[in-house]
Amino acid sequence: MTTLSKVSIAIQKRFGRQRLRKTILGSIPFIVLISLWELNTHFVWFEPIEIPPLSHVWEAIFFLQSDCPGFVAAFEGHYECQLSNHILSSLGRVVLAGVVGIPCGIAFGILAGMNRVVSGYLEPVGIFMNSVSGIAWIPLAIVWFGVGWETTLFIMLNTIFWLIFFNTMMGVRAVPKVLVHGVQTMGGSYLDTIRHVYFPGAMPAIITGMRMSLGFGWRALIAAEMIGGDSGLGFMIFVSAVEFKTEEVFLGVILISLIYLISDRWMLVPLEKWTIERWGLVWKPT
Amino acid sequence: MTSIDYQQTRRFKLKKFATEGAGRLIIFLIGSVVLWAFISAFVVERPDRYLPSPLSVILSSADMLYKGSLLSFYSDTLFRLVFGGSIGILIGIPVGLLLGLNRTVADMFYPLLNFFQSVSGIAIFPVIVIWFGNSDTTVLIVILYTSFFPITFNVLSGVRAVPVRYIQAARTLGASRMQVVRDVLLPGAMPSIAVGTRLSIGFAWRAVIAGEMLAGRPGLGNMIFSGQEFDNTAQIILGMVMIGITWIVLDHFLLRPLEADTIERWGLVQR
Repeated sequence: MTTLSKVSIAIQKRFGRQRLRKTILGSIPFIVLISLWELNTHFVWFEPIEIPPLSHVWEAIFFLQSDCPGFVAAFEGHYECQLSNHILSSLGRVVLAGVVGIPCGIAFGILAGMNRVVSGYLEPVGIFMNSVSGIAWIPLAIVWFGVGWETTLFIMLNTIFWLIFFNTMMGVRAVPKVLVHGVQTMGGSYLDTIRHVYFPGAMPAIITGMRMSLGFGWRALIAAEMIGGDSGLGFMIFVSAVEFKTEEVFLGVILISLIYLISDRWMLVPLEKWTIERWGLVWKPT
Repeated sequence: MTSIDYQQTRRFKLKKFATEGAGRLIIFLIGSVVLWAFISAFVVERPDRYLPSPLSVILSSADMLYKGSLLSFYSDTLFRLVFGGSIGILIGIPVGLLLGLNRTVADMFYPLLNFFQSVSGIAIFPVIVIWFGNSDTTVLIVILYTSFFPITFNVLSGVRAVPVRYIQAARTLGASRMQVVRDVLLPGAMPSIAVGTRLSIGFAWRAVIAGEMLAGRPGLGNMIFSGQEFDNTAQIILGMVMIGITWIVLDHFLLRPLEADTIERWGLVQR
């Protein structure tokens, strides 16, 4: 047995044969795409203004950050650190909208879902508000708040709140009445039913709502920053496209998708799985 | 007094009408319009700029209907959605099926499709604008992009989810490769095709609105955007209501029943 096969067997044992196969196979199309992109810079099938060289996209990071005094200044939002400012302002809006929107949505959703009549009336509101997609609110938000961070924050908050509210309400309504009656028979107060029955019972639906609101909200936020914003990644790619700085546009698009993928696959999907395992008694998929 | 007697009283019937089905919807609609009119008349300063009353929105719609612009905007948007969405879906289903036929190929393309499904059409909009300018082609390509990837990804994972046992059973009974595709894989992937279609159309609808706003092509998206530019808030609200109602009609009366029926009819394999 050669050393090479020993090493290969050790790697397969360490990471698992199937997983290794999937990772390697899955990376092939990406490698092909990136090498095609790189070949384009040598053979110039498309002009650099249409598809910029890979190296230019990489250099755009340092160009945008070139006058940044340092790492700490980037976090403090120094005006010369353009790229990190755009990223932080987009992420800041997501966090701020989440901090305000998620608790409000959950609270109102539980209150509305506990009463069958109220939730019956509020169901069409939720359906309508989720149907008027976040993007359609942008012009009205510009009229109300003007161009700036309030508009983009409003779009994100609006998307998050209604999705969480609607999902929580539906989740609470799906909780079997038997469980509520059980707690009440044993002397539980209204607060106890919320804490021990409604909230855990609606938990899987709430987490699904969070995933959906990040998916739709992130898209709406990018569009809002393009149309009615003055900072953020969406604003950056839109302005760069107008100025035909294609490498900055590509950089922005890649960053937007990477941020979404990382936050969805590595934070929300594991959270969703864990929640369904832990609290999924009431509502189980498959 | 038995419960049957109570159920025949007028009060009970009224209560039932008010809390169920169509009656509830009517009461809700009237209530929300009254609330809207109240807020617009007494709460908001300068209502014609910030929140026009329902009456002025209706007047604006009558005005636009009379001029013919409302119907032309509406048909433009619907045409884009139907045209772009159906092309995306019609290409996406065969591509997803073909990629799903072979396990190696499927494993190869799964992460790629997953990645491009997550890259929103709105984010690549500036790139398409650089390539094609602010034209109808740009909007169409964005719609195609947003409808193609979700359906392909869903069909691919649907085909993969068909148990190998069924394919082997069909093969044992002497089925050819074509027959396996037609009788096992396609019906087995039916539920995910339905789910993917709904997802695709949903993303495409949002992309149509955003694309029309950004590229400035005539349509509902451009109607609400120009409403903001010309300080015509009634036009914005009219557009928003139309966008919402169109999507509700499309989703609740066309796509959701389609999905439910498909899963009911073909969903055996998925279980």
